[in-house]
Amino acid sequence: MSGVTEAPGAAEAGDDARASRKLGLYLTLPAQLLVLFIAVFPLLMQLYISLTGWSPLTGMGWWNAWSLWNSFQNYVELAVDNRWWSALLRTLLVMVVCVPAEFLLGLGLATLFMDNFYGKRAFYSILLMPMMVVPAVAGYMFFMLFQSGGPVNDLLSTLSGQNIAIAWLSNPSLAMVAVMVADIWQWTPLMFLILLAGLVGVQEDQLKAATLLGANWRQRFVTIMLPRMKTIIIIALAIRTIENFKIFDTLYIMTGGGPGVATETISVYIYKLITNDLNWGYVAAIALVILLTLSVALGIAISRMGKASTEVTK
Amino acid sequence: MTSIRLDTLTKKFGAFSAIRTMDLEVHDGEFMALLGPSGCGKSTTMNIIAGMERPTSGRVLFGDRDISNVPMTRRGVGFVFQNYAIFTHMTVRQNLAYGLKARGTAGAETDRRVGAIADFLQLTPFLDQPSAKLSVNILQRIAIGRSAIVEPSIFLLDEPLSNVDAAFRAVMRTELKHLQRQFRQTMVYVTHDQLEAMTMADRIAVMDHGVLQQVGTPLEVYNNPVNIFVARFIGSPGMNLLPATLVELGGRLHADLGKAGLSRALTAPLAAAARGQKSRDVWFGFRPEELSVAADTAGLTLAVTFIERIGSRTIAHFDAGGVAVKGVFENDVALQAGSTAHVVAQEQSVRLFDRATGQAIVGD
Amino acid sequence: MAAIEFRSVTKRFGQTVAVDQASFRIEDGEFFCFFGPPLSGKSTILRLILGLEKPDEGEVLIGGRPVNGVGPAARNVAMVFQNLALFPHLTAEQNVRFPLVERKTDPEMIARRVAEVSGKLHIAHILHKLPAHLSGGERQRVAIARALVRDPVAYLMDDPISALDARLREETRVELKRIQTELGRTLVYVTHDQEEAMSIADRMAILEHGQIRQIGSPTQAYDQPANDYVARLLGAPMINILSVEADAGAGVLRLGGGAITLPLSAVPQGTSRVGVRPEDLGITKAGDAGKATVFEVEPLGGFTVVTLSAGGNRLRALLRGQPAIQTDSAVGLTMNPAAAHFFAQDGRSLARVGS
Repeated sequence: MSGVTEAPGAAEAGDDARASRKLGLYLTLPAQLLVLFIAVFPLLMQLYISLTGWSPLTGMGWWNAWSLWNSFQNYVELAVDNRWWSALLRTLLVMVVCVPAEFLLGLGLATLFMDNFYGKRAFYSILLMPMMVVPAVAGYMFFMLFQSGGPVNDLLSTLSGQNIAIAWLSNPSLAMVAVMVADIWQWTPLMFLILLAGLVGVQEDQLKAATLLGANWRQRFVTIMLPRMKTIIIIALAIRTIENFKIFDTLYIMTGGGPGVATETISVYIYKLITNDLNWGYVAAIALVILLTLSVALGIAISRMGKASTEVTK
Repeated sequence: MTSIRLDTLTKKFGAFSAIRTMDLEVHDGEFMALLGPSGCGKSTTMNIIAGMERPTSGRVLFGDRDISNVPMTRRGVGFVFQNYAIFTHMTVRQNLAYGLKARGTAGAETDRRVGAIADFLQLTPFLDQPSAKLSVNILQRIAIGRSAIVEPSIFLLDEPLSNVDAAFRAVMRTELKHLQRQFRQTMVYVTHDQLEAMTMADRIAVMDHGVLQQVGTPLEVYNNPVNIFVARFIGSPGMNLLPATLVELGGRLHADLGKAGLSRALTAPLAAAARGQKSRDVWFGFRPEELSVAADTAGLTLAVTFIERIGSRTIAHFDAGGVAVKGVFENDVALQAGSTAHVVAQEQSVRLFDRATGQAIVGD
Repeated sequence: MAAIEFRSVTKRFGQTVAVDQASFRIEDGEFFCFFGPPLSGKSTILRLILGLEKPDEGEVLIGGRPVNGVGPAARNVAMVFQNLALFPHLTAEQNVRFPLVERKTDPEMIARRVAEVSGKLHIAHILHKLPAHLSGGERQRVAIARALVRDPVAYLMDDPISALDARLREETRVELKRIQTELGRTLVYVTHDQEEAMSIADRMAILEHGQIRQIGSPTQAYDQPANDYVARLLGAPMINILSVEADAGAGVLRLGGGAITLPLSAVPQGTSRVGVRPEDLGITKAGDAGKATVFEVEPLGGFTVVTLSAGGNRLRALLRGQPAIQTDSAVGLTMNPAAAHFFAQDGRSLARVGS
């Protein structure tokens, strides 16, 4: 308690502080303008292009796109674009399955790691490995695993005693399952890592106190650990939700969005639009819509987080 | 009933021995202080009693029951942590009710008991406040209330007063002791502050380096420390210890204190015990409070180095040939820093310790 | 010359007044203590002396020179922080020489200064060690050495030994006093521990909510507190402060519901409360004097603290030795009228009658 000093942070008040804050603003102004330029310029450019029918095939510079002005036609098209809507639904489906699965698996693993067991360090390293694999390599790995004559089918054959040759990647619904398995494999470690940090941060004395007061494992988990980890859980979920929404590389290498469009997510769709159709005005419109949606979601998450952290911090 | 017995308890952390063969019995309803400097093994002992640590060998018994294998959830001991370990994400009420809720006590009964304990600890006004922003003094009461509400027959406290301010600490000392006398739980109180141990405990167990040094009432350990560690650790300031050689002078035994001079003759029982020793080299010990200024140039000759007046008493610091000696006097004592003083340690107050072993030499 | 003077200095942080119209003069070479509970403004005063804060009103002078516009570096006042703030990755020697290296002092001069201060503080033999390998007391001395190496006109300490345990604190404060006496340098010291303040200060200022409630030697403040606040803050156990009730018929003032009485002739006009130090209370057999019940007995060895219940009040008496007193027994209370402290309604001390 010797750390009690009188209002050390309060120095910001007073004229002095106000003057120095102004000086600070002047000094950082160039940098701030640069950041603003980097962030805002592409955004404005995108907005501009999204209101036109511009494409690099037109042969004109993007700044001349006004000659192909089509107002909100891109947005109207988007609203009735079935391929877009199903890509969005598919993306959401992957998110709804993968993020909770990754969360629960990560939390379970993290909880296991709170206790000591033989080989803990080795397991720890192994667990983190998927996260370090280059997504493209992971994609190729799973592409091989899920071949008709691949190890997954071999394993299933051995287990069931029958010859199983499932065409994972060419069956529309199974392809989706394979893609999800790959995502969960690769990203559960990140959840695990973040949640483990959260668990370690819960004061051990509080857990001991609860134990001595007769709380069992479940009670301790629900009444002490979860509430104290609220902030970190929200952070972990937010990170993974945003990331998952953009799912692309592993998936693209495994299925290329196929069979047909069975695993086509938003990112894959956009990629195809850019490379095949070269309809950049339309792509710009999609990109803006996604950005807007994500920003709103993130805003909600952050405000929730702020609330949670004020409740939890002592 | 709930006495606590530690039976040949040892605890090792790797190669380090935190507790070396400890036997201790805390009687039913007794207030026992575990006292020692940091790292002496007192907290480890307490954690073993609570079940947070497992002993390397030996047993822990509550009454006649060996609870060495009972997990801490089911030991039913009340425990107050040094940092209080308040659940800061809950209100005061939720904190207090926690133990009852965990046991599945009925809602109405929980409310009644929370109300009662809050009343008793003067926490009622804070019941529905979040506990995160309350002062240390209140947190401490919540910590006590949260453990007390489940009415444990054994109460363990780990330096609960070390974080509160001095004035409140004095009040809490009295209150805690009074509380314990009212409810008669078996209480084990860990502290490094000899003042807390002296003022509150029925008995004190003094520990150092994982070894139990002495168990006794506060006045026993103060008056008759078994070795120089206890002699120095108990008391404020601790006992003065001067290296001395015993000399026979006209049939009486005196301690030759070198430059400081010759002590008065030892009392007959002490002299008899000292004569029974092989070595003549001893520590000559006496309490700072038992020093008095000699009327003439008799007594020990000491150089006064520093005078500290602390309110009701004056502490004089002396130098006895390179050894620091302290005396506690009334404020009107006539001593000046930089001068030479003649002081007397009363015969009855003198304690001797073997210089080789540090153990007390005790007369009958 | 390094007297430090405040003239009606006020410092506000937003709505809170951290230091309120503080005026004092710390003489050159003095060991001056600021003492008060947390948030009473003592650390802010240190920061004002250091120049880390600027006063909103009033003037700060060091060595007779106004320094309101002078920055911390130019004031040449050194600070030993509460947590010592030693650099853990540097050895004791590197820590000590740090302020000089920072100022690009000549290497020969650095070596000389480091040798000089480490000699004075008896740390020459531990200079090669890292802070982690030093004891609390040694770290303390290294931190002081680092403050002294620049040869400051005054040095300030903010509760520097509060982290040590009780026994070590007792040793260290005497050591600090010795060092300060030897160095003869102005030392401004902040503490929340009354025993520490009384032990080492030449003079002390007692603070409450940013206001100085009394300035004086520890003996003055203890024996003649300016008000009940100061009386309560100094002394352990705390002074007993009792409500009063005049009984004109019997010609006595009844304290604490009648546990003790004082002749009205000894009581100054306007007394609203009376303070009695625990060491000025005596306990006798029941029946002799005011009645009380023993609530708790706390043996300290050389002394015994007896907590008493008397007329709904809780009183503490500090007795010499180890008297045999039983809890819950009825006892009598005595006190020397000359030892009473009289306080007015507003807490001000009243002069004793005839003094």
